[in-house]
Amino acid sequence: MIHVRHLSHTFGSYWALKDCTFSLEKGDFLFLSGPSGAGKSTLLRLLYGALPVQRGEASVADMPLHTLKHRQLPALRRKVGVVFQDFKILPIRTVNENIALPLEVRGLAPQQVVRRVRAVARALGLENHLETPCGALSGGEQQRVAIARAFVMNPQVLLADEPTGNLDTHLSFRLMELFKQFQAYGATVIFATHSKELMKRHPQAKILWLEDGAVRDANWPGARILKAPRHREREHGITLPPPDTEGGRL
Amino acid sequence: MMRTMMRLVRQGFADMGLYPWVQVCTLAAVTLMVFLSGLFLITLVTLNHELGAVKGETAFQVYWRAGSEMALVEEQWGRLKNLPWFTGLKTFTPQQALEELGTRLHGKKASSEKLFPFLTGKNPLPATALVSFAPNEEDTERWLKETGEYLQNLPGVERVLATPLRDELGQAWRKAGRYVMWPTLAFLGLLLGLVVGNTVRLSLFARAHEIEILQLVGAPNWYVRLPLLVNGATVGLLGGCLALVLLRFTFLQVHSLLQFPPLFMEIRFLPLELCLALVALPTLTGMAASYLAVRGDPSRTM
Repeated sequence: MIHVRHLSHTFGSYWALKDCTFSLEKGDFLFLSGPSGAGKSTLLRLLYGALPVQRGEASVADMPLHTLKHRQLPALRRKVGVVFQDFKILPIRTVNENIALPLEVRGLAPQQVVRRVRAVARALGLENHLETPCGALSGGEQQRVAIARAFVMNPQVLLADEPTGNLDTHLSFRLMELFKQFQAYGATVIFATHSKELMKRHPQAKILWLEDGAVRDANWPGARILKAPRHREREHGITLPPPDTEGGRL
Repeated sequence: MMRTMMRLVRQGFADMGLYPWVQVCTLAAVTLMVFLSGLFLITLVTLNHELGAVKGETAFQVYWRAGSEMALVEEQWGRLKNLPWFTGLKTFTPQQALEELGTRLHGKKASSEKLFPFLTGKNPLPATALVSFAPNEEDTERWLKETGEYLQNLPGVERVLATPLRDELGQAWRKAGRYVMWPTLAFLGLLLGLVVGNTVRLSLFARAHEIEILQLVGAPNWYVRLPLLVNGATVGLLGGCLALVLLRFTFLQVHSLLQFPPLFMEIRFLPLELCLALVALPTLTGMAASYLAVRGDPSRTM
């Protein structure tokens, strides 16, 4: 479902992602983790076509990103749902309008749109806010709207960039269950997070640890691990172990 | 598909209410630009009409000797009307000329005896006539010479001034029309297009976030563009229509402003085709600007 081979990306002379290789199959759940600036968001942006592939190859939902034409982007994005760290919702439009946006883009009949929006809103506890403008909601509620918008389109791949960053622990766990449920329906999920607690709640999930733009650790053989250069360790005098490890494998 | 398109068109109108101040400011800028262009066009149209109306016209100013017998002069005025290519005659008796002079000097109409009591019975001004012709001769120069000589030889005539200036002005204007007017109009159109287009594009910056989100959820370009095209066209159309209403109102206030001697110019309103152009151009430009605003993909960077 998602295949990444030797994917690298630079912003000027800064290497945001270095030689990243991994594969995910249909129904896989991947936690993408690592310190801030490790390249998590860059990787996700590459996977939904917000950044063009500069080096390497990648394919998502059978669409090769390295040869993707600009006009093919809408087709890719209809297969990939994205939950953004900064929500990316329209504050002057209502919750209903925001959640319905991907369905309307697909030209679904109004009755279908209403039915699916209500179902997702109920699952995320937003049913009482459907006619409220999103700008009037709290950060947590806005995040739930963003998640609902990604869920409602029933995508083959769901990418989430720290989706629980603005939510309390209870709601984060509830959302985690929804993501797991979504995975159970057959979707491939990539979930970028710092939270060890969340990762513990899904022990079957795959984990990819990024650091300095490179894959430094992973818990399944489909990922290629690049070891950090030794001189860096000497230079800083410290090593940066992945979470829940003592410097070894996850 | 049609249902989606109709919904997007309706949404285009409805979305104008989402950013009312942006829309009002854009509308004001478009209206002002079209209004200023319209004023410039009115000036051109008025000049064109005035000079076009007198093109090919030649006038002779004929002065009789002071103290000439008025019966004889009036008899000659009558004969002037029978000359070939005659178009008009404006005459002044010495008395009328003195009264006209008094009116100009004192700013009010009164009899010459009241204004110039010391000139009673000793009026030094001659009888004059301004004879206009619109000759359609192959050899205009020869006709000018012969007519001038005929007038000069009339009994009692002291001096004749030919004023072919109007003809030259008309010809100059025709040349200007060929070399200056059309390029000027084209430049004005370009300027109007650029200003209106950029104004509409700037107004779409307020919606850049929305465009980005639509593209992120997989909206094809036409889906994103259609409401914006409706928005741009509506702003252009409304701006053009408002500017025309303002132009008409301004015209009604000032159309007789230049009706005084020696100009006697009547300000002309724009013909229908220019009115239509003043509405169509901002409408099309508004649409083009909206189209170009979504040319890139804000959701895709670097």
